Amino acid sequence: MQREAAEIREEWLGRALSTLPADRPAAEAAISGLYRLIGLDPPRFHWVSSPFAALHTVPPGTRPRPSETAGDLFEWALPPRFTSLMGRLCQELDAPVRWLHRPMDDLIRREVRDSLSRSAEGSLLLAFVAATGEPNHRGRYWYAAQCVSWVAHYDALRRVAGVVFDPEHHRRLELWATTARSCGWWWPHEDVCVVSERPVAVYTEVWGDDGEVRLHCADGPAVRYADGWDLYAWHGTPVPSWVIDAPSVQRIDQEANVEVRRCAIEHMGWPSYIRRAGLRLVASAPDPGNPGSELRLFDMRTRTRVLLAVNGSLERDGRRRRYGLTVPGFFDDPIAAAAWTYGLSAEQYSLLVRRT
Amino acid sequence: MTVTLATLSQRTGLAVLDHLEQSVSIPVVDGLQAQGDLIVIPLPVVASSVRVRRDAGWTAVASGGLELLRGAAGGNPHTLVADPGTCRWTTGVWDSEGLAIGVFAGSAVVYLLHPEHGATGCTPGTYVVRRQREHEGHRARFVAD
Repeated sequence: MQREAAEIREEWLGRALSTLPADRPAAEAAISGLYRLIGLDPPRFHWVSSPFAALHTVPPGTRPRPSETAGDLFEWALPPRFTSLMGRLCQELDAPVRWLHRPMDDLIRREVRDSLSRSAEGSLLLAFVAATGEPNHRGRYWYAAQCVSWVAHYDALRRVAGVVFDPEHHRRLELWATTARSCGWWWPHEDVCVVSERPVAVYTEVWGDDGEVRLHCADGPAVRYADGWDLYAWHGTPVPSWVIDAPSVQRIDQEANVEVRRCAIEHMGWPSYIRRAGLRLVASAPDPGNPGSELRLFDMRTRTRVLLAVNGSLERDGRRRRYGLTVPGFFDDPIAAAAWTYGLSAEQYSLLVRRT
Repeated sequence: MTVTLATLSQRTGLAVLDHLEQSVSIPVVDGLQAQGDLIVIPLPVVASSVRVRRDAGWTAVASGGLELLRGAAGGNPHTLVADPGTCRWTTGVWDSEGLAIGVFAGSAVVYLLHPEHGATGCTPGTYVVRRQREHEGHRARFVAD
């Protein structure tokens, strides 16, 4: 059961991060169906190349109210109506399931729905927020409604638990499912709906216990749209492009954001950064429990020093990896600095018998 | 019986990287041990800063092992492995440094297994497991290797 749920999760994750061109006829038909469900005629469709473009272009032939030009989505009339539509559908789908299939529902909620929500938040939504500052807190409801996570949950209930939804519920769920797998995000107005294409490249890595992914690419942008809009990310942290394309000691030293600095140094490699930056060696000492290896403490910047340590176990190439740990600047003794990283005193840490 | 990486790997079904020596007996150590970003400390050593809460709930470590912490980028958990009925684990712990993830108590040897770092054995006793931190700006962040 768990394996089947995980397979369905991977299927929907693939759709959420799809880099295929939108299936415009399918998307327009499904969105039109959703408009009808809130009592409106189908809109005109205005396609844009990226979410970024959606926030900065005005559909031809419309003169939006001032509040609708920027991204303050919840000044808009329609998104709240669509989110309540989705909320009601979930309630109605949940009602029979919560009693009859409780354990299965819980499993699917955890393995499929929550995992996919976190993956979506850590990938395309993160890229959008990092680049635009949008959406605000309330705007997130609209992106959550478009997330594959809840659609995948009910799809998994159908396929893994054999839950049968009545035809009307099935039809409504299918409208949301079709939009989720046919296009990028959409922004509904009464007469026109702006719809985004999907990215042309997305690079992620798995990081969570339930298959959650986050953005990561060590040699280029982690997300890229056809109009050239892109975002760089290092193990889930959005970073400026220089961190990936041209990390340099000078740029690292000028960078104010400590997280960005760490990403850039990790990308360059700690030993290489220490050498190129010419950091001053404060002291070195044998690493307790790690025979033949030294702990070396370097001056880094105001109130920060870095401890260069050596792994206790071998890498595949037979070498031992060196890694840097930043420590408060008041340490002069590498043993005391290493001890601090584990909340110990130098005396306690020097009792270390073995490091693997 | 000699316990090797191969034995533990077989017992738990957890794979270890094939460049690690599989057939050498795993050293069993009495004292502090570090495995990557985790450290195992005999409770008496840090008794002044770590306490097991009175209402702490304990879990028996089953034969498949108990996952303590997963490394960065998905894989590679640190796993506690012990003969059934010989080890229990609790997260009901107070630590003045805020680094303890829990305490385990073993009446026989308890092993700590990791796919990249290999394995190490702890003599019977009660141990605190702490994460590693580093200094970032005005705060500390956990290390994940």
